[in-house]
Amino acid sequence: MNFVRGIQAALFSCAALGALTAVASAEDAANWGSFPGYTLKVKLVGGTQYEKLYTRIPEWEKATGAKVEIVSSKNHFELDREIKQDIASGTITWCVGSNHTSFAPQYGDLYVDLKTLIPQATLDEFVPGTLAASMVDGRLVQLPRVTDVSNLYYLKDLYENADNKAKYKEKFGTELAPPTTYDELKQQVIFFASPPNLYGTAFAGKDEGMTGRFMEIVRANGGDMFDENWNPIFNSQAGIDALQWFIDIYNAKAVPAGTVNYTWDDIGQAFAAGTLAVDLDWPGFAAFYNDPAKSKVAGKVGFALSPLGTAGKRGGWSGSHSFSVTEACDNKEAAASLVNFLTDYDSAMMEARAGNLPTRTKAFTDVVEEFKKSDTPYMAEMFAVWGQSLADARTPPLVPQWIEVSNVIWPELQAAIVGQKTAKEALDTAAKKATQIMEDAGVLQ
Amino acid sequence: MRFFRSRLSPPILLLMPAFVIIALVVAVPLLFSLYTSFTGYRLVKPDSLWQWVGLRNYQRLLSDVDFWWAFGRTLVFLTVALNLELVLGLCIALLIDKLTAGQRVIRTIMMFPMMFSPILVGFQFKYIFNDNVGLVNNAIQSLGWSDVTIPWLVNPVTANLAILMAEVWMSTPIFAILLLAGLMAMPRDPIEAAKVDGCNPWQVFRHITLPYLMPFVYIAMAIRSLDVARAYDMVKIMTNGGPAGRTELLWTLIARTGYQDARMGMANAMSYASILLSVYFTVYFFRKLAAARRTMGGVA
Amino acid sequence: MERSWQRWLIRFAVFIVMAIICIPGLWIVMTAFRDNVEVMARPPVWIPERWTLDNFRAILGMSESQQGIPVARYFLNSVIISVTSTVLAVLIGMMGGYAFARYRFKGKNVAFLWLMLSRTVPGISLSLPVFMIWSRVGLIDTDFGVILVYLALNIPFTIWLIDGFFRQIPLSLSEAAQVDGCTRWQAFWKIEFPLAKSGIASAGIFAFLTSWNEFALASQLTRTTASKTLPVGLMDFTAQFTVDWTGMCAMAVIIIVPALILTFIVQKHLIAGLTFGGVKG
Repeated sequence: MNFVRGIQAALFSCAALGALTAVASAEDAANWGSFPGYTLKVKLVGGTQYEKLYTRIPEWEKATGAKVEIVSSKNHFELDREIKQDIASGTITWCVGSNHTSFAPQYGDLYVDLKTLIPQATLDEFVPGTLAASMVDGRLVQLPRVTDVSNLYYLKDLYENADNKAKYKEKFGTELAPPTTYDELKQQVIFFASPPNLYGTAFAGKDEGMTGRFMEIVRANGGDMFDENWNPIFNSQAGIDALQWFIDIYNAKAVPAGTVNYTWDDIGQAFAAGTLAVDLDWPGFAAFYNDPAKSKVAGKVGFALSPLGTAGKRGGWSGSHSFSVTEACDNKEAAASLVNFLTDYDSAMMEARAGNLPTRTKAFTDVVEEFKKSDTPYMAEMFAVWGQSLADARTPPLVPQWIEVSNVIWPELQAAIVGQKTAKEALDTAAKKATQIMEDAGVLQ
Repeated sequence: MRFFRSRLSPPILLLMPAFVIIALVVAVPLLFSLYTSFTGYRLVKPDSLWQWVGLRNYQRLLSDVDFWWAFGRTLVFLTVALNLELVLGLCIALLIDKLTAGQRVIRTIMMFPMMFSPILVGFQFKYIFNDNVGLVNNAIQSLGWSDVTIPWLVNPVTANLAILMAEVWMSTPIFAILLLAGLMAMPRDPIEAAKVDGCNPWQVFRHITLPYLMPFVYIAMAIRSLDVARAYDMVKIMTNGGPAGRTELLWTLIARTGYQDARMGMANAMSYASILLSVYFTVYFFRKLAAARRTMGGVA
Repeated sequence: MERSWQRWLIRFAVFIVMAIICIPGLWIVMTAFRDNVEVMARPPVWIPERWTLDNFRAILGMSESQQGIPVARYFLNSVIISVTSTVLAVLIGMMGGYAFARYRFKGKNVAFLWLMLSRTVPGISLSLPVFMIWSRVGLIDTDFGVILVYLALNIPFTIWLIDGFFRQIPLSLSEAAQVDGCTRWQAFWKIEFPLAKSGIASAGIFAFLTSWNEFALASQLTRTTASKTLPVGLMDFTAQFTVDWTGMCAMAVIIIVPALILTFIVQKHLIAGLTFGGVKG
């Protein structure tokens, strides 16, 4: 018996050891391969927020003996235009490109399916929803580096103010607390607004920002943009209610009238100036809002999960910045190795420390711990709240026509918000144009 | 060298570099985009370059209400902007011409807006006209009308006005400097003579200064109508044609159609419409200029 | 007495006008020296309470919180591109202007008009085809590729201005020199060129300012630090959701100062050049 037990123990410890070494090799995937003398051409999204990560590239160069040549470094939208130009002129001479989930479907078969190049064990370490959103037609065309989803920022002192609390209770019969539904949010932003010094909130009123926020509420109300056959259905009741939500807060002057012309930077500046009570916004603003040199509301910002719609769901409009490898690449192993390296655990932690949402499950819990330890509970709280909302994150429809459809929707939404059309008229017009686009593209028969 | 000289006349040789460069950078690309305007070319589908659709893009344009609104708005915008810049530029030039000291510094300051890239102007005026924390509303409020907030970039009138102001700010100095050059070159004798004859300052301006300045006016107009399209960067950042298409100009529409929607064929069809518009403006001013030059020639 | 009263009135009016012209620009300059917290403050902070160089430090990569921007490299590219394209545009402008002013040939007026009309094509409709050609011949992301495009932008204007200027110079002067034994070439450099200097200088400054500030085409044709110019570099301050406006303004100051200095230096020639060049053709 003892003998058998001994063998069992031995076997067990062997297994454990084996498992351990397996973990170790996955962990020091420090084996990034060896590509001496090879020059890898890459196109990376530029801008101070994203470039910090690239300081890690020399580390990869040292490990592999390869050289990285950055052939383009531009902002998100310009990179998109440049990649389209490259496709048009047939000059795909580079291997790795920055990508984004909203853009990826447009590029057709420009990029390889990374499932063939990256071990499944590595892919399992990503947040499942984020990874799933990176697929186009079942192909993993990109590996996400940071992800974005919106939650609420609010001014704590407004919610803690005794006077506000009393008035709110008197008026609505409930305690004043950060909103959990869009109806409650509407009620509160109207309650807080006292223009011109304080508005309830502001929303992105043009470009994809407008369409995205609308889509978020449509989905929270149980609707969607398209049905399974790609018929536009955003002019359903869920859509009309969603648009009415914007119209209502606009007419109640709970938002600055200029909001229909705002983009993210305007909203960020307005909240940082202390002129908005609540702000449904992206995680990248958290650090900005809490920096006394940049923001007046530093130290006063609270977080809450994004509100629920009439269907009791969250819209969770999300997108991820990512890296892709081109089909035309002459050394896909080296390219995949770099992509893998730039999204590995250390990279994820680097992104997280800078205030971006990482894409690896482990980085989420670890960075919260780290922030707690380093005495920045503000950022720890941010990651805790945003971590919860990832489960509801959904990308816009992953079709090549999305941006084009978005461009016919937002001007109509604006028209309804400023009172030129009714919600139904505007959405019907937009749906008609969207139908034409889908028909022209041959997606819709 | 001698061989060329024997075959080609000197003016042809001298003009060769200019025409080669223009052909390379403008003419050839333009032919290409003319071709694509007859195709269903989509940027991300290189094959669609060969998909000939004949006049379909142009037919769709003819019935596209949004396009014609943008076309009309661009026409009005250009007319108003050019005239306003002219009047303001003239006033500034007249004023500086009267100045006796510090002209060089003042003239440099006057050209200050020309140093700004249009994208900077776009961001700057977007923030200036921000209704919540912008400069203009802040100024109005600190002057005492504490609860006035004008949604500059939303109201159809003020939004276009704001864009117009940005454009005028950016481009008036060109008029001012050209007209100032005209004023400074003007012979003083006729003015003195008119004064002796008892003309008041307005009469002097109306009958002597202004006719003399007219060629300069047309030059300035021609120069400006040549590069009005650079207002695109500015409008794109300020409003991107919104809200609800209230400030949509041809250039924002073309860029969105071509690059974001990737419908290059359609965008190029629109471009041709916009090229016709600027050709019209330019030819018009050149004719005026040529006529004015003839009369000037008679005088001088 | 009345004279001095009038003079002061004019000075006052000039001051007001200049203030209106300057305020939007000066606001950018002041923003470059502010903390962001002051930029969109309510109530507004008109004059910075604390002048700071942090924004300049940040873009030069001297702060820890932010990745720097290769300003020096952009600056160098801008200088190379603007100066080369200006010099070449002026040279080609002189050749073309001389041809139009001094020779009669068939189709002269038509050629002139077509040259000018080439400038009316909006950059947007050129950008894609130019890009496709440039990428085939390897001119993308090179200084030369950008210079070539700027030449096309500037040549029509320089030819026009210099043409008018040469016409202004009496033909008899150069003929006299040729009678004295000069070749036409020598006569040009000894007689016509010095007289046309102001016109050439003002054509130059306009060409320079156009190249120095051009954004739309440069943003298509440049990709990396190998050829990105300062205005294109401005877009480094925009991310997907944020715009670093104070940083952008600091960069703007770096762009404006050289242009301003240069304009001041050539100011004297500018007025004289524009006067004769454009009109009296």
